[in-house]
Amino acid sequence: MTRLRIVLAAQLLLFAAWGGWLLSSKGTVAPEFYLETVPVDPRDFLSGTFVALTYKISAPEPCRKVIGSRSFAQVYVKLEEGLFSATTPAGPVKLYEATDCAEHPGDGVWVRASVQGGGAGPLRALYGIERFYLNENDPRKNAGSGSVVAKVKPGRRNALVLLDLVQKL
Amino acid sequence: MSYYKRFRADLKGAAAAGIITPEQAAKVWELSYSGRLFASFKAVHWIAAAAGLFIALGVILVAAHNWDKLGAMAKMGAFLLLFAGAAEASLRLEERPAAAIPLETLWFFMPALGIGLYAQIFNLSGDPVKPYLAWAAISAPLAAFSRRPLAAYLVSFLLFAVLFWGTLGSSNMLALTASYGNTAQPLWHWALALAVLAGGAALYPGQKLGMPLGAAAVWTFFMLAADTAIKVRSEALVLLAGMSLAVLWLSWSRRPDGEKAGLPLTVWTASVYAMTFFWHYKPHAYNSFRGTDTAYGAALTWLIFAGALLTALLRPQRLLPEGREENYVGKGLLAASMLGAFLLFGATESSAKLLGVLANFILAAFGVGCIMSGARNSDEKLINRGVLVITLTAVTRFVDIFGGLLKSGVAFIVTGLAFAALAYFVNRGRKALIEAVKK
Repeated sequence: MTRLRIVLAAQLLLFAAWGGWLLSSKGTVAPEFYLETVPVDPRDFLSGTFVALTYKISAPEPCRKVIGSRSFAQVYVKLEEGLFSATTPAGPVKLYEATDCAEHPGDGVWVRASVQGGGAGPLRALYGIERFYLNENDPRKNAGSGSVVAKVKPGRRNALVLLDLVQKL
Repeated sequence: MSYYKRFRADLKGAAAAGIITPEQAAKVWELSYSGRLFASFKAVHWIAAAAGLFIALGVILVAAHNWDKLGAMAKMGAFLLLFAGAAEASLRLEERPAAAIPLETLWFFMPALGIGLYAQIFNLSGDPVKPYLAWAAISAPLAAFSRRPLAAYLVSFLLFAVLFWGTLGSSNMLALTASYGNTAQPLWHWALALAVLAGGAALYPGQKLGMPLGAAAVWTFFMLAADTAIKVRSEALVLLAGMSLAVLWLSWSRRPDGEKAGLPLTVWTASVYAMTFFWHYKPHAYNSFRGTDTAYGAALTWLIFAGALLTALLRPQRLLPEGREENYVGKGLLAASMLGAFLLFGATESSAKLLGVLANFILAAFGVGCIMSGARNSDEKLINRGVLVITLTAVTRFVDIFGGLLKSGVAFIVTGLAFAALAYFVNRGRKALIEAVKK
């Protein structure tokens, strides 16, 4: 009984600490910016309805030289304002693009990514912002390709945090 | 009749005959039955477990609705309160299984609810396998320390399910199969997969080795057959690995006193049955599947074969009941089922046909062995198993090889006559045995 109470306390502490970490990561002071995205709408029975997001930065060509022949690597991708912009209800916003890739972050906006692929195969970078969860009645779950942009910002340890999915005008 | 039902009837009979006292019979029964998986579970407890399962899944789905008007803190606070409440209530109502079992089931699912909820609140994404591994890791202490086997069974099942799903994929932290155009998966994936396998086996409740061993054997075979770093591609090695794993599973999992033949025996029989179809083997028909055997895969296959051969020769066989003749026949059949794979090395059409014939003989010998041993031990179930194996093999061959109505009809008549002769000799053998005992 005592051992199980210790187990319960440890489990609760784990979830409390994890929640605190995620809350503080979302609350970090960092610039917010937008990414072009291509959404689809599957459903996860653990977490509910979500929009699966693929970004232009999901295939960062600058990482090919960094990953080499490895099939998997943790890298940092540099994001900078690109040439394109989108019009949102808050006004026109510049869209960010992947411009560089390295084993360690440098100056500017560098975000952590897990890159799979390598060799001659296609690259696939995961930033932890590939799912946007929403209420099952939210109309954005049917967002079409090119109709939304993702509002993001770097959180703790250079991890990207997905803040919102904004409809383009 | 199951082993336990028959054992209970025997104990009652022994008590009624005055061989042992009713108290001794009750104590022996308690000792034997308590070793069984879910021994303490009555029908009402199963209903209670189902209630817990449905409530837990319902809570998860209600949370999955995504109450986006509620703040993150409120959702997390409600989750932690529910978590603490369900677990604490399960502990306080420990002595009342009808309440404690659904609550413990709810407790087991709470980490999954939390992971899903946090992913929803913070839009977390990433490796698809990670949440399930985290769930199993967080619930493992509950499985280890709980007085009931339910949580241990659930965690073990979760780990095995994740093992198969993850390792056969190509883009997750457990993935062991190569994705198209990419290089092999990193070594640490293997370490993690083996840790998951060990965890699932260690947490499986009770003293039973059968299910974890079976899961490990099937998983190993999948890893050898799939496009992994230990893949084998030659038919001979694939067959050798498969038959050796089937023999290992059968030899190490089935209890000597277990009346039920169980899944391992069915798998072994089915494997030998599948081997009979090598009659149709064409050496050049499988070129698209061919590739190069990996050194690791070949070494592992030979290691498994060596272990299985030693096991078949040195351990008591589990194919037939204990007995001098049965042991010779059982060990011989187990060894033959593996050694038959050697006919596929540099296989020609005729050597493959020989393998098909050998597999038919193994099945026929197994069937006759079951009938003879069943007749000797008055075990109707064993006799039925023997008849079933022979009938299935015979019917398959008639349809498979003879094809034509006339030839098949004649073959059916010949087999029927053979069965009649077998029944006659078996009956004569039984009578002779009874007479010998009377004298």
